[in-house]
Amino acid sequence: MSVSSPIVSIDPLLCTGCRRCAEVCPVDAIVGTLHQPQSIDTERCVMCGQCVLRCSAFASPFDETISDIPAIRKERGLPEDDSSTLFAAHFRVDKGSVSSMLEDTDKISMVQCAPAVRSSIAEEFGLAPGTLTPGQLAAALRRLGFDLVYDTIFAADVTIMEEASELLERLESGENLPMFTSCCPGWVRYMETAWDDQLSHLSSCKSPQQMAGALFKSYGAEIAGKQPEQIASVAVMPCTAKKFEAGRPEMQADSVPDVDAVLTVTELADMLKRKGIQLTSLQEEEFDAPLGLYSGAGTIFGASGGVMEAALRTAIAVTTGKEVDESGVTFTKTEEGISRATINVAGKTVRAVIVSGLAHAAKLLEDVRAGKADFDFMEVMCCTGGCVAGGGQPKLLPHVDLQDAIQRRRESLHVHDKALPVRASHRNPSVTALYENYLEKPLGHRSHTLLHTTYGEAAGGHE
Amino acid sequence: MPHRLNPFILATASKCIGCRACELACAAAHIEGGVSVGSLQAPLSPRLYLTCVGEMRVPVGCRHCEDAPCAAVCPNAAIYRTDRGVQVDESRCVGCKTCIVTCPVGAMEMGQIWENGKPVMRRVANDNSPEGSEMEPALLASKCDLCKDRAGGPACVEACPEQALALIYPDAIKRRRNIQAALALKGTGARAGEVL
Repeated sequence: MSVSSPIVSIDPLLCTGCRRCAEVCPVDAIVGTLHQPQSIDTERCVMCGQCVLRCSAFASPFDETISDIPAIRKERGLPEDDSSTLFAAHFRVDKGSVSSMLEDTDKISMVQCAPAVRSSIAEEFGLAPGTLTPGQLAAALRRLGFDLVYDTIFAADVTIMEEASELLERLESGENLPMFTSCCPGWVRYMETAWDDQLSHLSSCKSPQQMAGALFKSYGAEIAGKQPEQIASVAVMPCTAKKFEAGRPEMQADSVPDVDAVLTVTELADMLKRKGIQLTSLQEEEFDAPLGLYSGAGTIFGASGGVMEAALRTAIAVTTGKEVDESGVTFTKTEEGISRATINVAGKTVRAVIVSGLAHAAKLLEDVRAGKADFDFMEVMCCTGGCVAGGGQPKLLPHVDLQDAIQRRRESLHVHDKALPVRASHRNPSVTALYENYLEKPLGHRSHTLLHTTYGEAAGGHE
Repeated sequence: MPHRLNPFILATASKCIGCRACELACAAAHIEGGVSVGSLQAPLSPRLYLTCVGEMRVPVGCRHCEDAPCAAVCPNAAIYRTDRGVQVDESRCVGCKTCIVTCPVGAMEMGQIWENGKPVMRRVANDNSPEGSEMEPALLASKCDLCKDRAGGPACVEACPEQALALIYPDAIKRRRNIQAALALKGTGARAGEVL
């Protein structure tokens, strides 16, 4: 798959110009007039894929104006016998490159999947929105041929270790406050495209996807007795912007990318079906140790507010010595898409903000730019509701209540969190082992090399 | 209330933006599957057709004609009138396409019919095959059935984000218009003693 092909694009042969995608684009990147094919302003686009979810302009077999469907499939890199429905707004398909990696016997394949994948993939197999299937997801990935079935949630736990330490350090020094989370590649891209003078506020942490990938090719490689270049690192994400993130030049070590390919939930479901793997009828299996063991805190990264809650659980324990399953902090919605709370951490008052939906971030960023920010720490998720609503999630049919489905996926992540034996990142035994055996300490030298980055360089990748 | 005239789906062209949500919902409503596009177990075969003429966008579908020409010309009696519109019995259809030619609005199509996750097949002659014939997916008469088996009513109506589609009962509309016209006439009419 060519890295130069755009992550998200609109096919002028299929677009009818209804502009419904423009209604959901958080950055006004859909350009065009009504009834004419639309295009994407790649300078503004953050590749969140909301347009892809919204688009209903499919290639009808009875529309004679859509003549050469095989040519469209070819252009999109789909196999000739692919029979999936083609829509005008679409994302780059990477199924082919993942299949090649799985066939490459010289490599050991490691896969990770984001928290929100296990609360939605069953929808692609006919089950109700929000059906939780972590064990069946692990089993399905093993049937597909992955040698090691690891998990992004493990890396979310590592993110908490790093990011909580970074926040405490910034609160101590007073520098680069308020601090912003950096887990969401759509949000990071927005900062780079629209607020590049404010980038120092972003956490230097890589996202959980990239932390996992970097650990696969270092710690994971060591455990497997392999060299980094002998590992095929694949991520399954509810997100299209993750495809962009994986291709960023910052996200590699000595030209070896942390993550070699990213599949969306829909792509994985399609690959499973083509191999005759019926996810919902598989026996549940465990994710592989050590990089597949996870806590409840990492699990809720997939829902808006989850990174904040996960960070608070660990911050409370680290600063007070008191272990809690839940932070007990309640955020109050102050306006559409924005919730706030004031928390006491280590004798300091921390004013925290959660932004759900990129379109709501601009006002807060104006305050930061003007030096009037009335908060210290901000979690932003580009898609309203969090990754459960991501652009790589199952594309729901027009009559299905989208908000209800997102709510069900959120609830199922919270149910999963409550059911797990370990609910705070710092108590994940694989995480403590990682620090004892390999990283030494959060923000240490190895962490700095593997798990942190800088944003803002012209990253390329999007055309 | 029983209806004297068949209902049908009416599209308001001035409201339609051409998003194809109706076609997508229609096609999905006629195949097995769950809530997502990926869960659908057969290719999409819509039964109304977004039609673009210049700036105009509007889906066109079956009017469930009272004297349905498709039913009249079908040589195999596969199309018939019911109290829930004009319906097709695919098991009787041979794909002769006479109905397509005769339909005044272009509502009929020849589509693949899927049963139990597989397309309904037909045998076609092929001299190169050892049996002298081979199987291929059958293309059979397909048109709006008013979502007769769907609890929520027609899927297209439910899906339209612009409320451009409606299931209408022409006799009820006529009755309503009669009453409105009668009320409008109330204040008019002849002056006392005047002969019109």
